[in-house]
Amino acid sequence: MYSDVDRDALHVRAADAAYPIGTGAPRESYLNAARIIAVAKRAGCDAVHPGYGFLSENADFAQAVADAGLVFVGPPAKVQRLLGEKTAARRLAREVDVPVADGTEPLRDAAAARAAAKKIGYPVLLKPAGGGGGKGLRVVGRDEDFDPAWRGATGEATAAFGQPALYLERQIANARHIEMQILADSHGKVVWLGERDCSIQRRHQKLIEESPGPSVTEGLRAKLGAAAVRIAERAGYVNAGTVEFLVEVNGQFNFLEVNTRLQVEHPVTEVITGFDLVALQLRVAAGEPLPFTQDEIIRTGAAIECRITAEDPFAGFIPASGRVALVREPAGSGIRVDSALFSGMTVPSEYDSLLAKVIAHGRDREEAIGRMRRALREMRIAGIPTSLPFQRAALSDRDFVAGHYDTGFVARWHPTTADLTDGEAASAALGAVLAQRTRTERRAVATVDDPWARAGRADALR
Amino acid sequence: MRYEVTLDDRRVRVELGGDGRFTVEDRVVAADVRETVRGRQWSIVLAGESHEVTVVTHDPLRLDVDGHDVRATVVDERALRAGRGAVGARTGRVELRAPMPGLLKAVHVKEGDLVDADARLATLEAMKMENELLAPSAGRIAKIRAAAGAKVEAGAVLIVIASE
Repeated sequence: MYSDVDRDALHVRAADAAYPIGTGAPRESYLNAARIIAVAKRAGCDAVHPGYGFLSENADFAQAVADAGLVFVGPPAKVQRLLGEKTAARRLAREVDVPVADGTEPLRDAAAARAAAKKIGYPVLLKPAGGGGGKGLRVVGRDEDFDPAWRGATGEATAAFGQPALYLERQIANARHIEMQILADSHGKVVWLGERDCSIQRRHQKLIEESPGPSVTEGLRAKLGAAAVRIAERAGYVNAGTVEFLVEVNGQFNFLEVNTRLQVEHPVTEVITGFDLVALQLRVAAGEPLPFTQDEIIRTGAAIECRITAEDPFAGFIPASGRVALVREPAGSGIRVDSALFSGMTVPSEYDSLLAKVIAHGRDREEAIGRMRRALREMRIAGIPTSLPFQRAALSDRDFVAGHYDTGFVARWHPTTADLTDGEAASAALGAVLAQRTRTERRAVATVDDPWARAGRADALR
Repeated sequence: MRYEVTLDDRRVRVELGGDGRFTVEDRVVAADVRETVRGRQWSIVLAGESHEVTVVTHDPLRLDVDGHDVRATVVDERALRAGRGAVGARTGRVELRAPMPGLLKAVHVKEGDLVDADARLATLEAMKMENELLAPSAGRIAKIRAAAGAKVEAGAVLIVIASE
């Protein structure tokens, strides 16, 4: 299915069948549950896979799909409701002896919240109870900043999740964002597949993920896996999911939330385990038991994913849209590219800025880093700014290479000047001049000599 | 034409000769240059070294040079002489447009004339005042598109100058 602005998108062209579901505005298409279900019925589908954006964590949608006699590929609505309300999920974690950061239940008003913040101690996190993914989340450092932050977060939570409820959590400084992939079948079996370190984030949105986490010991991994499985079992979880933790410098971990869907960064786990998670999701949705036990899961080597987004790292990662003039994707040993890019495409301003994911797999972290560096140097995207310069720099950053990084990495990062050889500098200078010349000439042609432009101008002046 | 190019914090002087030869930092370079994607990407072989330059964005000018990200500016000699900052090269053709609607009282040049930047080209009567319209850059008058006595709209192209 596709919205009007996605008519040319690769997913439409690769599919066996494609149905329009409305205009570019998400509410008119990808968030329109009724229209999606109607199209699924018309197309003769027996199941709906919600992907990883839009309605993928919407319990009402999962229920509507089931009510329409279709299979929802993901956890059932009641599980999504239970874990989707973040304070309920925290209670559930505590019931099965999984540590959670100091925090509160949903708060009534700013005054009550401010009192609670004082008790927990600043800095605190103001979080929407209704949803995760970093949206609507605020860090409050001081008491005097509390009220404006409360108002802002309430507005954002309402816009993003349709409900204003907020709760507070202690802000854990210099923490690492570690998440555990789980898979559960409908016969009560739950397994964990391994962790991903997703600490390289900006505005709480991930840019680089890797597995194994460079700071995760065998002991911590087993503890996180067991904790994730306990939470999933208590919730009656079915299908793929991710349990997120914040891990402090001393190895102390705190439950954060459960993402009740497939995640963008799932390829990291796929290349490490050799499993096709989407295929397994479909098997689970069809009622099949998991085809392996916990002991049969073998993790091999190290994997890194870079999310290439339409954002300008030289300008505070502001999102960009526009026409992609040129694309060349990397390839070779240990490189996988999941991409929506093609030359001539228009990156719509309506949706998320994710363009492509580059995944590198190596026998160890060093080899994975080397392959990723090579892949990023091979990659070309022109026409719009992308996050590529950030990831190229990060993969050569001393702290990243050493595995010493946390969720403050992007905030501390500054663009550096390129270290060019004389030959590269001479070529760059020539290229810059040629680019400028072609452009000036073309503009002159377009504005002066082009008969259509002239006619258009004449019309405009009439 | 001479250019001053900045690549991040590095300055490089480039000259493009009329015969297609390049001079970088006053040294003639034997560069085998191929435009691999029109106006976007060039393959440049320099004394056995193979380089690829891709224009990521034009404005601001960002380049990908063999997988290195470079923020660049290009200023040509005229702009340099005029003391203009890094606003981009001023090559090709430049238009003189009517800044406001009015009556073209006089055209002071004819096609083929060589003019300096800021030379008086035409007089436009508008809002009860006579306004002198000056050459936006030096060059040869390539085209005169409006005659004295004509009523012109704002934005209309009056004169086209070709730079030399």
